[in-house]
Amino acid sequence: MSERKQVETTCAYCGTGCGLIVEVEDDQIVRVRGNKSAPVNQGQTCIKGAFGYHYIHSKDRLTSPLIKENGQFRESTWEEALRYISEKLSTIKMQFGGDAFSMFACARATNEVNYVTQKFTRAVMGSNNIDGCNRT
Amino acid sequence: MDIDRADVLLLIGSNTTDAHPIIANRMKKAAKKGLKIIVIDPRKISMTKSAVKHLPLNVGSDIALMNGMMNVIIENDWYNEEFVKNTSLNFDELKDHLSHYPLDTVEQITGIPQEDIVEAARLYASADRGMIAYTLGITEHHCGVNNVFDIANMALLTGHIGREGTGIMPLRGQNNVQGAGDMGCLPNQLPGGVPLTNDEQRLSLEKTWGVPINPQIGHTQTGMLEKMEEGKMKGLYIIGENPIVADVHKNHTTELFKKLDFLVVQDLFMTETAELADVVLPAKGWAEVDGTYTNTDRRVQRVRKAVPAPGQALDDWKILTDLSTIMGYPMSYESSEEIWNEVREVAPNLFGGMSYERLGNEMSLQYPCPDESHPGTTLIHQEFHHNGQGKTAPFTPVHYTEPVEMPDDEYTFTLTTGRRYEPYNTHTQTKYYPDTLKRKQLEETVDMHPFDADRLNIEDGEYVKVSSRRGEVTVKTKVTEEVQPNLVFMSFHFPEVPTNVLTINEFDPISGTAEYKACAVKIEKI
Repeated sequence: MSERKQVETTCAYCGTGCGLIVEVEDDQIVRVRGNKSAPVNQGQTCIKGAFGYHYIHSKDRLTSPLIKENGQFRESTWEEALRYISEKLSTIKMQFGGDAFSMFACARATNEVNYVTQKFTRAVMGSNNIDGCNRT
Repeated sequence: MDIDRADVLLLIGSNTTDAHPIIANRMKKAAKKGLKIIVIDPRKISMTKSAVKHLPLNVGSDIALMNGMMNVIIENDWYNEEFVKNTSLNFDELKDHLSHYPLDTVEQITGIPQEDIVEAARLYASADRGMIAYTLGITEHHCGVNNVFDIANMALLTGHIGREGTGIMPLRGQNNVQGAGDMGCLPNQLPGGVPLTNDEQRLSLEKTWGVPINPQIGHTQTGMLEKMEEGKMKGLYIIGENPIVADVHKNHTTELFKKLDFLVVQDLFMTETAELADVVLPAKGWAEVDGTYTNTDRRVQRVRKAVPAPGQALDDWKILTDLSTIMGYPMSYESSEEIWNEVREVAPNLFGGMSYERLGNEMSLQYPCPDESHPGTTLIHQEFHHNGQGKTAPFTPVHYTEPVEMPDDEYTFTLTTGRRYEPYNTHTQTKYYPDTLKRKQLEETVDMHPFDADRLNIEDGEYVKVSSRRGEVTVKTKVTEEVQPNLVFMSFHFPEVPTNVLTINEFDPISGTAEYKACAVKIEKI
């Protein structure tokens, strides 16, 4: 049997911020439990925190960039997908200005992702049309 | 979070047990040790069992109730006169304003008996330490911002702010709502909570980034949707969000997205929203990335990679920095830590002292934490208590306005929407619970009072048609006294029952938040 790895982390569901310990075997999460030394939850978890991780290993996960052609998605490389997006967004910015672009940021992603998201929107697209699901 | 230090807690518009279960546990534990909880909620939510009082007000009548309570507090001299004198502005204006809310009027609007209003007002005002916690039951109204103003008025009037066990606690619905805003993912705010209109700070950020920053405040999501309707919004990039299912008036949102020239969706799954995209990008998820989240009490905590991501999925920030580089603005971070260190440089007053190393050793730090020797800040607004030498704040009197769509002869019920315990938001992640896990609810229901069920001859478990002026759904009935007569409740968790085809596209003019909490529906047997 392979060794079980324990990783200290923070729950990604509601805003409570419970400390969790993720137990991993063979690159698969096998258990999630509350971290007793976490200041917020002191070891407790709710059903989402303890059992809501199975989506991570789901077969339904997206695994490749997809480009829609004639109403159908086809797989592409990162290079092709990003070049395509770059062309489209540059054209929109040139023809209509940055204000014709919007970004829906993600209130479940990390601070680091959110910092880069707004930096991209402001520095690259020249737009302040950035908002998230924070309001709902 | 110092709920356990409070004497009285007004819990208003928060079904804490279902939406924030671990915070609810702390409230219940504190209640056993003497905390008096007053639940203000149209529904008999589970927290009422731990409460000394439940005020089941009519949906959307919060301002009438709070104005009535404040009127009583002033009339009886239960307010904190010293604090009000030293700290507040506009008291006389507030007092005049509240005279429009005598008890009989308030009883009529809210449906709450006068003696209960007086008792709740007395308990909160005369407590040594009173706290208010709220959630979307306050904000998801056309008057959400005014609701929040009135909560602030209550805290200011009683001096219940800036001391342990007091204050106003908005419970955030997502893990990083606080952080996303702090990082500047708002149309009017730069990283570190700095207003975009602050020229000095904006220019300083321009220097760090080496590009000019547009000084014009952008649109909220609601405003962006309006621009789509006008055909002026051409490109939309969505990260980890499923607005087609989550937003009000679903059919309308779908039409708007089809008007875009170009839609990019970056997600873990092919969501209903991703289906509409021109390009879909696979992102890494929780347990696959490193970084930090900021919780509801300003606590920054680490998240860590535990497992590899499937296929070619990449970190959200990696996708954006690669794209940015192709578009001619090179961004090349090696790690999330490097990004975080830039955040610390850009917003030193809040995060300067929070290195990954410290967060690793100390588990969590609450901002502001300006330097490495700073312990972080557990309590804010203490400067209100400097005896007239500190901060002042104005009262902002607000008037009650009824929900935009009230029930009538055709649409006789009020529908209020919210969350349930087991599923999370649009269920794209929680639908993967293992089948072996015992659960309370596996499909959506319309929760209806026995009185109404009897009247309409509908049995528990029977499927019915629920329709509004915007759409209709077929859904199972749950007969329960948790809701009042003439009120029904549904969640938007289960895509098979897209509740948001029913909800109304009316929004708070300042926040842009939609009125998820009230619309008129009719219910028919099928």
